[in-house]
Formats: sequence, C-alpha cells, structure tokens
Amino acid sequence: MSRDTQWPRYEVFKQDRPDKPHAAVGTVHAPDPEVALLNARDVFVRRPSCYSLWVAPESAVFKMTAYELETQPNWWVEELPEEAPEETYHIFNKQTQRRSMVAVTHVGEVTARSPREALRKAIESGQFVEKVAYMWWVVPESAIARSSEEDVLSMFEPAKDKTYRDQSYYTGGVFARRSQRRPEDIPLS
Amino acid sequence: MTDDRTYEEKLAEFEARIERGEKIEPGDWMPDEYRRQLIRMISQHAHSEVVGMLPEGAWIPHAPSLRRKMILIAKVQDEGGHGQYLYHAAESLGVDREELIEALLAGKAKYSNVFNYPTLTWADIGMIGWLVDGAAIKNQTMLAHSSYGPYSRAMVRICAEETFHYKQGKEMITLYAKGTPEQRQMAQDALNRWWWPALMMFGPPDSQSIHTETLMRWKIKIKTNDQLRQEFINEIVPEFLALGLEIPDPDLHYDEETGNWVIGEIDWDEFWRVIRGNGPMNRDRLAARREAHEKGKWVREALEAYAQRQAQAA
Amino acid sequence: MNKKLQQALMDRLVAMADDEVILGHRDSEWTGHAPILEEDIAIANLAQDEIGHAIIWYELAEPFTGNDADSMAYFRDARQFRNVQMVELPNHDWAFTMLRHYLYDAYELALLTRLVESKFEALAKAAEKVRNEEVYHFRHTSDWVERLGLGTEESNTRMQRALDHLWPYALQLFRPMPLDDTLIEADYFPELGELRSAWEQVVIPHLEKSDLKVPDAEPIYAHRHHHTEHLVDLLADMQMVARSLPDAVW
Repeated sequence: MSRDTQWPRYEVFKQDRPDKPHAAVGTVHAPDPEVALLNARDVFVRRPSCYSLWVAPESAVFKMTAYELETQPNWWVEELPEEAPEETYHIFNKQTQRRSMVAVTHVGEVTARSPREALRKAIESGQFVEKVAYMWWVVPESAIARSSEEDVLSMFEPAKDKTYRDQSYYTGGVFARRSQRRPEDIPLS
Repeated sequence: MTDDRTYEEKLAEFEARIERGEKIEPGDWMPDEYRRQLIRMISQHAHSEVVGMLPEGAWIPHAPSLRRKMILIAKVQDEGGHGQYLYHAAESLGVDREELIEALLAGKAKYSNVFNYPTLTWADIGMIGWLVDGAAIKNQTMLAHSSYGPYSRAMVRICAEETFHYKQGKEMITLYAKGTPEQRQMAQDALNRWWWPALMMFGPPDSQSIHTETLMRWKIKIKTNDQLRQEFINEIVPEFLALGLEIPDPDLHYDEETGNWVIGEIDWDEFWRVIRGNGPMNRDRLAARREAHEKGKWVREALEAYAQRQAQAA
Repeated sequence: MNKKLQQALMDRLVAMADDEVILGHRDSEWTGHAPILEEDIAIANLAQDEIGHAIIWYELAEPFTGNDADSMAYFRDARQFRNVQMVELPNHDWAFTMLRHYLYDAYELALLTRLVESKFEALAKAAEKVRNEEVYHFRHTSDWVERLGLGTEESNTRMQRALDHLWPYALQLFRPMPLDDTLIEADYFPELGELRSAWEQVVIPHLEKSDLKVPDAEPIYAHRHHHTEHLVDLLADMQMVARSLPDAVW
C-alpha cells in the first residue's frame, strides 16, 4: 500500500481590510496553489471579514525566531553564486506577546538574492521593528498565489450574510414557524 | 553556529521565558518532554474535533427546520475547521498530518471520550451544544493562554468561534424545555444521558492525572482538571435548574461554605472502560473515519498526480 | 399580476427552491465523510449556501404559496416537489458529487446571469446576491472537474462513468414547465433553449479539456413532478423530526 498523502501545506496570509496588513493565520493542505487559495477561503473566511488572501508553499517560507538569531550568530552565512538573481521578498514579523490568532504580520518588502540575505537586510535596515521582534518570516514574491480584487464579491462578501455563524445572532428569542398551514394542496402545475 | 550552553542552562532560560509570559515558538529550544506532551495533547485535541463531527453530523439530515439545518452544518463544519487548526499546531512541532491520522485510524491515538456516546434524539444536538461544548469552552479558554505560540493562537481562533456552538445549543434546550411535553421530555432525556460524560471531559481527578504537574509547570495548562470541572458545574447547574430540568445526580447539593455545587461520585470505571475502547460507539466512530479515509484515497492521489503533471509542464 | 402569471411564477420559484434544498441536503450528507479535511469544510459551505438560496426562493414564492420555507420543505411529499431528478440521486462517490455540482452550478450561474435582468424586480434583486456565491461554487467545481478528469486513470474512469450517468439527467434542467411561456413573455424568466446553448458552450469545452467525453444521449423523459424513489428516502430522512411533532417550534 502506498503511503497516504494529505497534500503539501500552504501558509495562508489574510488581509481583513484594504488598510490592514496581511497576517499569517495558519496553513491549509492543498495539491496546488489554486486549490490552496480556495481551501484558504473555506477554512479561514467562514466569518467576516476578509479583503485579500495570499497562499505560499510552507516549504518556501523562511522562518527564524529571535532565539535562533541569537544562538546562531552566523545564521546569515551562505554561499550564493555571483550571478544569483535578485527578487522581492515579503517580510513578516511578530512584535508582541499579546494573545493573538495570527503568528506574524506583514511589515514590508526587500530586494535580495536569497531569503537569508533578505532577512539580514530587513534586520539591518531597522525599519521593520519598533522595539523587538520575536519571530521573522520571509516569503519570496514568486511563491505567492493571491486572490484578486474581483474575487472579493464571490469569495469574501458572502460570509457577511451567514449571520447564524456569529454568536451575537443568538439573542434568546423564540422562533415560531410563521405559517402552521400544511401545504398539502398547493396547486403547483 | 551551535548553542553551547548546558541542558540545565537552556532549561532555566526556557522556564524563565515561560515565567515572563513569553510564547515558545517553533524553532525555539524546548525540552523534549515539552514537545512530547504538546504533540500528545494537541493531536488528541485535533482528533476529538474530527471524530466529534460524527455524532452531530448524523443529525444533519434530520434537522427539523432549514435554519437548524444550516446552523448544524455550520457547527459541524467549524469542528472540522478546529481540527484543521489543531493539526496545524501539531505540525509546527515536526509531525505530519499523515502520521497523526494514521495513528488515529490504527486505534493508537486517543480522542475525547464523550464522542463515543450515541446521539439518539434531536434534543441531543442542543444538549451537546450547550453542555458538551460548554465544557469544551472551559478547557479551550484556558488553553488560549498556553505557553506554546501555535497552540495558543489556534485556541484563540477556536474560542472566538465556539461561543456560537454553545449559544445555539442553549437556545434549543431553552426552547424545548418550555416547548411541548414531548420536547421537554426529549430535553430531560438528553440531559440524563449527557451529564456524566460531559463532566468526564475534564479528565481524571487530579489525584490520578499523571500529566498535570508537568503541564502546569510549563504553562501548557494553567488550571487542573478538578478546578475546571468545579467551575463548570457551578456555572451550569443553576441554569438547568432554572429551566426546571433535573440533574441526574441524587447526591448533588449546594455547599454554602465553599459556594460550590457538589456532585456525587463520577463513575471512573466507566471513564477508563471507554478510554480503553469499550464505549458504546468507539468501534463505529473509528470505522466511519477509516471508511472516509479509504474512500478518499483515490481523490487525494488524483489531485496530487494532476499537480505533479502541471508542475512538470511548467 | 394576473392569475396565470402568478401561477407560472410560483411554479418556477418553487422549482428553483426545491432544486437547491435537495442538492444542499445531498451536499450536507458528506459532512464528516469527505476525502480530506479541507474538502469537508468546503462542501459544508456549498450545502449551507444552497439551503440558504432555497430559503430565498421559497420566501419569494410565499405570497403565492401562502406557506413559509419550512412548511414547503418539511410538509410536502415527494410528488409535490418540483426539483429535477439529478439533485435527488444519491451521492455515490466524490466524482459523481463534484460533477453533478458542476453541471448544476454552470446551469445556475447561467440562469442567475439572466435573472438579474428579470422584470420581476424582487427576483432580479435576489438573483444578484445569490450569483456572487454561485460564481465561487462554479470556480470550485470547475477546478475539481478538471483535476479529477486529468488526475489518474482511476479518477478519469470514475468521472467518465459519472458523466455518462448524469448527462441525460442534467438535460432535464432545460425542459420547460407548463406555464413558462407566460413568464418569458413578461420578461420574468429566460427562455430555456437559449439557456441550454449558453450552458453547453461553457460545459462541453471544459469537460473535453478535462479529458471527458460528452455522451450522445437523449434527456431523461421526466417532468419536474416525476421523481425517483431516492427522493422518498431523502424526504423521510429530512422530514422525520419536523413531522414527528408537527405543531412544535424547533
């Protein structure tokens, strides 16, 4: 018997509103980026609100905690070929120990030749941290599949009508059937 | 590139971080025992959510109004979502979902005993929402403070959704307790059957709980089984009594001095019997999970094959 | 609105609602049993959406039927339902379920795209809302048809078998109801011949691209008041609690 597959994992980044950054909400298992995007919607947008979703293969996300940075002083050392092309990397980090449902939040982009280089540049620039960062994630732009603005209506808006999924819907009211008539003789043609 | 401090130094720093209220994240140093306990607890919790879809799912076809039907589908869907979040938290510790599910299907993993009891009437759906999810929420609210980052985050997300489960159940039982004589009888019958299994959900008494001390020291848990159980009893007993429902415990009484509702003896023999696999529905639950897993195999493989071909073509 | 137009509108709205409630019920039977956790969650969304749509259509029909959505869903017998047979067939396997949904979603999306122009304003307004969700359903099930069609030999075989079985049933969607002409004349509802060719233009190329052969088969001969035995079983499941205490509030 061949080994079971639950499909690879994709990290999911959700943006609640256009003026908020994307944040890491969890992962979905999916065979490819398109299915990952739909699964992300079904798993993480059962309730409002969402404006945009990004998914990226978990294996493409470079992660370092503050502890790792501290205890591995040469963490950024690597051999990069001279001609390694530059690309855009998205930088995420976690700057609070407050209770939260998201792991890291998008703080900006840098151009670099590798995830390690991107992280080193991000840290050295000093522009992505106010006081302290407990965890950093680096995601190459090329690894991201994203929802578009046209998807908002069909993917994210409908959750707003599913009011019965929200606890505030249950106010202790009593629900009567409006008509007690048995529709035995509705003259349908 | 290596951290050359001794184990004791690392452990001291780890415990100091937990003491300061910092979250431990994947990648951080942690004692093997911390990792082992987390994998054990989180995977049990994930399995409970997924197996927990079955007893309630069985009544989706019979939901007595379209509104109730949508609510119940959404609720069982949430249980699936919660299982999904929790498997994710376990995966962050270096295990994969394939092996976790394999362990469940092979009967090697535990899940909450309560789902090994059958749902016999529609009122059971209301009672599970109010009583069983009410008990689950006590636990989950505590676990949202857990020291392990991914577990805590999954729990915060779960708690935000779970209150709906509790409220829709309470709404139903409240309605049925005041409804027709048959509905009232269904509600009472459901309480009779679910009361004790729900109280057992908090786990064995502290005197018999082998993991509690470790879990509390590392703030994976922050309250003991008995503490949580008592808090829950104190909250829910007056609510049932106010509806005129009877609690199926002749020894139940209010202790003025402690302010606690004191219950009679829990049948721990039954608890251990069900854990060992001999509850009313254990075999059936696992059989249903295995069947879905086996019937889904060709589907999972087909999508994997499609993805590989697309990747090669690109 | 004259009597005949009212009757025609009621017939159609009830037919639309019945299609959705029966399909939603079938979808919901997968909850807890789907091939992977993520799909369990996804199909539970489809189920809720379809049942939600049914409520919308039943409520639009309420002034004509004199009954609310629950009375319509829970207190009619099989012979009084006006859904197509395709939606009442048992789920069989995941290939059958996804393909049926795809064929239905393509129909519903084409229908809604026309209904947003309906001269019956309440219907046009409701169609606008329902269409948003249906765009997503169609994307979801199109993706699945393509992946299962092109996946493995087994998945392709299962899909082809499902298509051979379902195609004649799917064509029942385009069989006119007795008073449709009245609705079309009033610009309340689209002409089904045109709807069918729009549907075929979407569905046939996608099936072929997914390595599936569209069978050369006649539509099943059935009016919307003809049903299979499967609907009787389905309604027995669905209505048992509601009918056990018909005067209770749930």
